[in-house]
Amino acid sequence: MNDLSRIFNPKSLAVIGAKPEKGSVGWGLMKNALEGKERRKVFAVNPFRNNVLGEKTFSSVLDVPGRVDLAIVAVPAKSVLKIVSECCRKQTGGIVVISSGFAEIGEKKLQNDISDLAGKNNIPLIGPNCLGIIRPGSGLNASFAPVSPKDGEIAVISQSGALLDSIIDRSLSENYGFSGLVSYGNGAGLGMNDFLDWFGRDQKTKAIVLYLEGIEKGREFLRISKKISMEKPVLVLKAGKTTAGKTAVSTHTGSLAGSYDIYKAAFKQAGLIECETLEEVFDSAKALAWQPRIKNGIAIVTNGGGYGALAADYCTDSGIMISKFNDETKERIKALMAMHPFFSLANPLDILGDAPAERYRAAVACLLDQDDINGLIVMQTPQIMTETEKSAKMIAKAAKKHPRKAIVCVLSGGKLSLPGMKILEMNHIPAYSDPKRAVTAIRNLIK
Amino acid sequence: MPLIGFEKSVKLLKQYGFPVAKTEMAESLKEAMVFGKKTGFPLVLKVFSPNILHKSDVGGVKTGIKDEKELKKAFEAISKLGKVLIQEEVKGTEMSLGMKKDPAFGPVLMAGLGGIFVEILKDVSFRIAPVTRKEALEMMKSLKAWPVLQGCRGRKGMNVQALADILFKLSELSLKEENIKEIDFNPVMVDEKKAKIVDFKFLA
Repeated sequence: MNDLSRIFNPKSLAVIGAKPEKGSVGWGLMKNALEGKERRKVFAVNPFRNNVLGEKTFSSVLDVPGRVDLAIVAVPAKSVLKIVSECCRKQTGGIVVISSGFAEIGEKKLQNDISDLAGKNNIPLIGPNCLGIIRPGSGLNASFAPVSPKDGEIAVISQSGALLDSIIDRSLSENYGFSGLVSYGNGAGLGMNDFLDWFGRDQKTKAIVLYLEGIEKGREFLRISKKISMEKPVLVLKAGKTTAGKTAVSTHTGSLAGSYDIYKAAFKQAGLIECETLEEVFDSAKALAWQPRIKNGIAIVTNGGGYGALAADYCTDSGIMISKFNDETKERIKALMAMHPFFSLANPLDILGDAPAERYRAAVACLLDQDDINGLIVMQTPQIMTETEKSAKMIAKAAKKHPRKAIVCVLSGGKLSLPGMKILEMNHIPAYSDPKRAVTAIRNLIK
Repeated sequence: MPLIGFEKSVKLLKQYGFPVAKTEMAESLKEAMVFGKKTGFPLVLKVFSPNILHKSDVGGVKTGIKDEKELKKAFEAISKLGKVLIQEEVKGTEMSLGMKKDPAFGPVLMAGLGGIFVEILKDVSFRIAPVTRKEALEMMKSLKAWPVLQGCRGRKGMNVQALADILFKLSELSLKEENIKEIDFNPVMVDEKKAKIVDFKFLA
C-alpha cells in the first residue's frame, strides 16, 4: 500500500492550469491551495498567464525550483498526458488530475496511458475527473470545492465530487469536521481501497464515511474494510441500488442476486454500517467519531413525556434494549426527585418539566453509574424554566466521568435550544433535533 | 451461459461429496423399470436437455409415480422432450441453495426457501465466499423462515446443519472450479434427519 502522507501534507504544491479568471476551476484550485501558503510553497503553472492571484506563474512544472510534493492538474484532457510526463520527470510526490474527458466519456485508452505512466514512475495518481483531496488538519485544500471544511475526525471517501461540495457546505453550519475528504473520480490510479486503507491507519481519523456507486476490486474491498472496521467505524452510503444490472438471467440464484444484494451482503460481512441518507451518515459519523462503541442496553432521560415515549418506541423498533433500573439506582432517583410527588421509577426516566440543570447532571450521573446501562439518550424540551446552556454544561461534565459509555442528546433544534446543542457538541456529545435521529445514531454505536 | 451436461454435473457433485437424491439417466423404458425395481416407488421423472433450464415450465417433471404403469406413461411423455432422468422421490421442506460469480466480488452464495417461495417471497440471504459451516448457518438464521426451519407449532426442526454443510461445500467448489459460473440446487429437500439435493444445475 502507498504511503500517502506526502500527498496529504505536502511541503510544496503546484497548480498546473492555475488561472486568474474568477469562477474557473484553475482559479478555485489556486485560491484553495493558497489557504495553506503559510505551511507550504504554492506554485502556479500556466504558460499563457503571468500572474494568478498575486503569484507569478511558471510555464512548466519543470521550471519550478526545488521539489514538488503534490501536483494538481487542471488542463484540457488532450494535454494531460504531456503534463503527467513532466510531473514524472520532476518526480512529484503525487499527481491529482482534476481534468475530465477520460473513461467517463469512453476515452479509456487515454486514461490508461496516464495511469500506466504514473504507475511506471511509482507516482501515486488521483483522478482523473475528480474534485481533489482535502486535509483540513494540514491546511491542504487541493480541490476546487467552493469553500474549505473545518478540521475534525471524520474522513470521507467519495466516488462523486459534487456530493463532497454538498457535504462540505452542510458541515459548515454543523459542529463536526473532517480529517480528510477525497474524491477519486475515475480511480485510474488510487481508488477506494487505497484511501480506505490509509484513513484506516490515520491517527486523526475516528470514523470513515464512504460514498459508493460501484467498485471493481470487490474482494479486496471486503478484505480491507473488514480489517479496518474491527478497529474503526466505517459507514457506507450506496447509490445505484435499483439498477438491476441484469444480464442473461439463467438460474434462480442469478436472477435473485442483484448487484445491490451482493453489496449489502459484502457490507454486512465486512462489519460496515450502511446508512440510507446523507443525514443519517453524518448523524451517525459524528456519534461514532466522538463516542465509544457500546454493548446493547441504554437508558433515556427526559423532561417531557412525549419525547421519552417516542424515543422508547424507536428503540424497541430498532432492537435497542431499555435497561431496568436496579435498586441502588432507584434509591438515588428517589433522593433526586424528593420534592416531587409525581415521578415514576421507569425507564425512560421523566425528570419532569421543571428540571433545572442540576437535576440533569444528577440523573446522568446516577444512570451512568449503573453497570448494565451502557448508553444514554438525554432529551430536553425547552420549557419556561429550562436552563438550556447550563444543562448542556452539566450533562457534559457528568458524561466525562464515564468515557466508556455513550451519550447522545435530543433538543428541539430551534432558537431556544441551539446554544445548548452547540455546547454539547463542542464537548463531543452529539445532539439531534429529532428523537428518531438520536436513536438511529445510538443504534449504530451499539456493536 | 451453457448448461453443463448431466454426467459432468454428477461427477462434480460426487467429487465434492454433495448429498443428492438417487438419480440416473434412463436411456430406455427398460432401464427406467430396472431403476424402479431396485429403488422402489414412488419415483420422479424429469427431462434433461441443454435447451431446457426450467423443466416444470415445459411439463418436463412428473412426480409421485406409484407403479410401473404410471412409469411407462410418464416415460413416454418426457422422452418426447429430451433425455430422461429417473429419481427417487424425496419428501421434505423445499430449500434453494445456489452460487453466482459476481464480476467484482467473485463467488456469492445464496440460501433461501425453495420452490415457489424463492421467487415470490424472495426470502433469501447472500454471503460472499468463502464461508465456514458456522457462517453458512448464520445465512440460514437471517432468513425470515428461520423459525420454520428451527421447528415451531408442533413441527419438528429441520436438519439445518446438513444445509450448512451443502453451502460450505458449494463455497469450496465455487472457489476451486473456475469455469463454473452459476449453480442452482433447487429444490434441496430437508427434513429433521437429512438434506438431499433433488435438482441441480451448473452453468459454465
